[in-house]
Amino acid sequence: MHTNTPKRRRRLTAVIAALATSALVLTGCSIDIKSAPDPSLGADTLLIAADTGSPSMQRVFNPYLPNTRIGSWNMFEPLAILNDLTGEDVPWLASKTTIPDPQTVVFTIRQGVKWSDGQAFTPADVAFTFDLLKKNPSLDLKGAWQYMKSVEVKGDDVVVHLNGDDVPAAQVIEQTQIVPEHIWSKVKDPTTFTNPDPVGTGPYTLGNFTPQEYAMDKNKLYWQADKVEAEHLVYPASNTQLDVVTKGYDWGFSFITDVKGTWEKANPSNTYWFPPGGTISLFPNLTEKPFDDVNFRKGLSYALDRKAVGDAAAEGYMEQAGQTGMLLPNQDALLNPAIPDKGLITQNDKTAASYFAKAGYTTKNGKLVGSDGKPLTITITTANGYTDWLRAVQSITKQWAAVGITVKVAQPQPAAYQLALRNGDFQLAMGSVGGTGSVYQDFANNLSSEFYAPIGKQASGNFGRYKSSEVDALLTRFKSTTDEQEQKQLGYQLQQIYYDELPSIGLYYGGSWGLFSTQKFTGWPSAKDPYTSPKTYVSTALLILTHLKKSEATK
Amino acid sequence: MTTTPLNPSAETVPVDDTLLAAPGPWQVITRVASTIWSNTKARIGVIILLLFVVVAIFAPLLAPYDPSATTFARSQDASAAHWLGTTAAGEDVLSQLIQGARISVFVGFVAGLLSTAIAVLIGLSWGYVKGWGADVINFVVNLFLVVPGLPLMIVIAAYLQNGGIGMIILVVVITGWAWGARVLRSQTQSLRGRDFVTAAVFSGERPARIVFREILPNMTSLIVGNFFGAATSAILAEAGLEFLGLGDPSTVSWGTMLFWAQNSNALLTGQWALLFAPGLCIALLATSLTLINFGVDGLSNPRLRESRKAAK
Amino acid sequence: MKYALRKVGLLILTLWAAITLNFFLPRLMPGSPTDAAIAKLSQNGPVTAATRKAIEIQLGVPDGNVLEQYLQYLKQVVTLQFGISYTFYPQPVAELVSQALPYTLILVGLVTIVAFVCGTLLGVLAAWKRGTWLDALPTLGGSFASAFPYFWTALLLLFFLGYVFKIFPTSGAYGVTNTPGLNAAFLGSAAVHAVLPAVTILITSLGGWILGMRNTMISTLGDDYVTFAEANGLKPRTVALRYAARNAILPNLTSFGLALGGVVGGSVLVETVFGYPGIGYLLLKAVTNQDYPLMQALFLMITVSVLLANFLVDILYGVLDPRTRK
Repeated sequence: MHTNTPKRRRRLTAVIAALATSALVLTGCSIDIKSAPDPSLGADTLLIAADTGSPSMQRVFNPYLPNTRIGSWNMFEPLAILNDLTGEDVPWLASKTTIPDPQTVVFTIRQGVKWSDGQAFTPADVAFTFDLLKKNPSLDLKGAWQYMKSVEVKGDDVVVHLNGDDVPAAQVIEQTQIVPEHIWSKVKDPTTFTNPDPVGTGPYTLGNFTPQEYAMDKNKLYWQADKVEAEHLVYPASNTQLDVVTKGYDWGFSFITDVKGTWEKANPSNTYWFPPGGTISLFPNLTEKPFDDVNFRKGLSYALDRKAVGDAAAEGYMEQAGQTGMLLPNQDALLNPAIPDKGLITQNDKTAASYFAKAGYTTKNGKLVGSDGKPLTITITTANGYTDWLRAVQSITKQWAAVGITVKVAQPQPAAYQLALRNGDFQLAMGSVGGTGSVYQDFANNLSSEFYAPIGKQASGNFGRYKSSEVDALLTRFKSTTDEQEQKQLGYQLQQIYYDELPSIGLYYGGSWGLFSTQKFTGWPSAKDPYTSPKTYVSTALLILTHLKKSEATK
Repeated sequence: MTTTPLNPSAETVPVDDTLLAAPGPWQVITRVASTIWSNTKARIGVIILLLFVVVAIFAPLLAPYDPSATTFARSQDASAAHWLGTTAAGEDVLSQLIQGARISVFVGFVAGLLSTAIAVLIGLSWGYVKGWGADVINFVVNLFLVVPGLPLMIVIAAYLQNGGIGMIILVVVITGWAWGARVLRSQTQSLRGRDFVTAAVFSGERPARIVFREILPNMTSLIVGNFFGAATSAILAEAGLEFLGLGDPSTVSWGTMLFWAQNSNALLTGQWALLFAPGLCIALLATSLTLINFGVDGLSNPRLRESRKAAK
Repeated sequence: MKYALRKVGLLILTLWAAITLNFFLPRLMPGSPTDAAIAKLSQNGPVTAATRKAIEIQLGVPDGNVLEQYLQYLKQVVTLQFGISYTFYPQPVAELVSQALPYTLILVGLVTIVAFVCGTLLGVLAAWKRGTWLDALPTLGGSFASAFPYFWTALLLLFFLGYVFKIFPTSGAYGVTNTPGLNAAFLGSAAVHAVLPAVTILITSLGGWILGMRNTMISTLGDDYVTFAEANGLKPRTVALRYAARNAILPNLTSFGLALGGVVGGSVLVETVFGYPGIGYLLLKAVTNQDYPLMQALFLMITVSVLLANFLVDILYGVLDPRTRK
């Protein structure tokens, strides 16, 4: 026995040493990850990381269900596409949209469009679709019938009568995806209809579907068939960051850590473009002291180093946001030129302190103390698992500590976070503002008293509980004008109020994480050619799919 | 529990009686310690554990930087300034690793102690009482055994919100005590029929005294073993919960390090240490507890002592 | 007889309590299924007020007060009609569960059996050859391997064997081109896809069985009847396997029974890392999305099988060890 123990000990020591060395060796060397396109996919096929089945995909192609497969967007087209990057309306199934008066929208239906089963697409299909949404409000995800009174077909036109003066409503209604009457009229319960064999007008039809991957094939009858060069699309169910980088994807929508060192390094034809898709902001609870005091909000704002916050959140890939509510450079043309420095607010702890003083807070022993003599503690609410937001909050915590504010972080699960937002159960909450492409919608969702709900009652917008008759009046005027210049002026005024009043505090831009490979196809949106956002999961994807050209290599 | 004529535990009764008769708890501890120390595997376990405990205690002194400072270059490889590189947010991995030892050691010990305490209280009374009392306890324990563990943890974590270390400990204890109670109950039932318990009953001792003075000391190894087992699973459960993002990702622990490593795809960016080191540390800490358990097994069951074979 | 009746009564009571707990636990979580659905949607961009309303109507705020909902739920449990899942709307819960169950049963079930058999054999060997490398290697290796966090082992295996050396597929339960059914191509592909998850579970669970068996076996080997058998000139091998191992395996069998009962729950972390479409993954999705119908169905399934396994083990114990009946 006594000869036994030392031997065993030696063996153990050897095992531990070996493990330690192997760990060290592995730490020292990094393995190069290369992208290898799947050879079974042809040069005319796009591999797209967009539709994540978790873990397997259900065959749901009802475009009005939130769980619909991403491929639905390529089959069911809207009347017009609201380009959320440029703010333009691109005529689609309606060749023309006119607004004869602020209470009427006329969609002139495009001629020569066919459903993928060969039947002709008619204005009756459009009227049927609107009727379908009216009868089944749960399908009306865009809320078209909030604004609509009635629909009638006049020749090639579909005339929509609105509830009142509501010009911006046209941009909501036009986004409605149209379905064929000759199929959907036979569906018993459209609210649970999975539409397993979809028939649409779009550039692609459903090909082979398995729970782990599905393919889409080019629709030969498509009305813009000449513009569609990719013959097939493939959507796998598993799209982890590792998959995206290693498996030769052509198009992905995902934030990737160190995108230059990973995605770009994996293949020389990989590129990326991250335009802003929304402003990540802090919602102050405006019904609660001291957040109801604009001076206090200004103090908070001046105490922020937005560049550092944005860098912490998105590893330096996203820019700091100004206090105008506009997404720059996307909306440069709509920006109020009177606001200094494009609305950017530079950190200045002295200015912050003076505003805090106006709000009744002074610094004592390095702590910001209220008139009651108690040091100030603020709770920021963010959703658990939204790591970029958490990084931002951590950065804010440090910055505000420097001016003497103690910050606590509340991280409920996403559902509970949503509940807190809706009930107004927070002091400061992280949230995303804007990005719909419509200036009116962006401001209305955030500031209109239409969405105001008292604390404890569920609100569906305006979570900070902002109330201003001035803003409401501007929004009402926005609804009744069809004049673009006037709309622009109204936008300026809203921006000015947003800048002066800080109903929410803009921090940095949330990105639209576009990853592209130019190996097979070129013509992806980019900073040089910003024709639309890189999103894979909305109608703007149609703009990309009809814009792609075969690359030199695959011609 | 096996149908054996002569029982290992019965064999140790005289030994434990002397323990009880001993004046101070010091001797008990020394005795336990020396038994554990006499086992090679356990000795290695103790050394590893002590190492982690020392690192945990002196973490602020040992860590080269502030573990949550994000002022360094992002995703750096190992270098002289950062032995294990930096994270995607620009934190020093080594400092985080050292700081993380605190949480794991703390959670392991506290959660292990708490769930063992509950398991002992419930397991022993359950094993001793008869009739409806046993049925009630059986009912409660079964309930905790059948409700699936991880989902239960997730639900509780979501309910309690603002998950900090306290919440994680609570979740681990709530879901972890039942198993130990079950094991201890079986052993109690087994011991209840033994002569020395019957003798105590006849001499008119109160049930509580019988359970905690006569039966409990005979289960030292099982209880200590249960503690180390519970501590091990607490450490692993804490890491698992935090990895799933159910903890507070702002705290620096091995579990959250793995969460951030996965989140920022450390494998993709070549941040090997970020993924490797915390996992290895968790494994080493858990192994050290398992190794100590080898020695603990020999405590009341001399057959599991290493000298047994030589003596034979 | 009375013993069995009391046990059955207790079983039914526990079942009811567990079912009730399964109803109330999910509802303790703050936020509603609608909030969860919106939280998921909002990661893709701004969710307008109108969308919120539409989803609310779609998922439906459950009718009636909690008591009515509870009675409704009890009816569902009895009729096994769990309705439509919220997360995978409009898929019926039954469909989702029946899709996922076979993968979990085969993967986790088989691995549990293999781990038990191998672990027990290694444990017997370790105890029998105590003090040699046949003891040291399995016990130390086993305890070290089982100390690794499941998901960590899974991540490393996935990365090296899946992505770097490309030996095994990185996700899913079978190849994209296969159609599930009894054909060679599918079965072959399914087997290859199961290797990494299986190895992960095996590595991390083997150690427990080895240690358990080794310790009880060592105790048994020292018992008088073993010494007696040896003294009577029986071969050591016969003694070890015929007498000692047979007795020592008893307590481990109970753990095995319980482990088998738990198989239905799948292995959440492993299935998540490998994107394996089993019950564990489904469960995680259901819980994080507050999918009451799906959660209730899964919890019920797991609860019933664990309870039954527990019950059978209890009965078995009563038969094998009459002392516990006193």
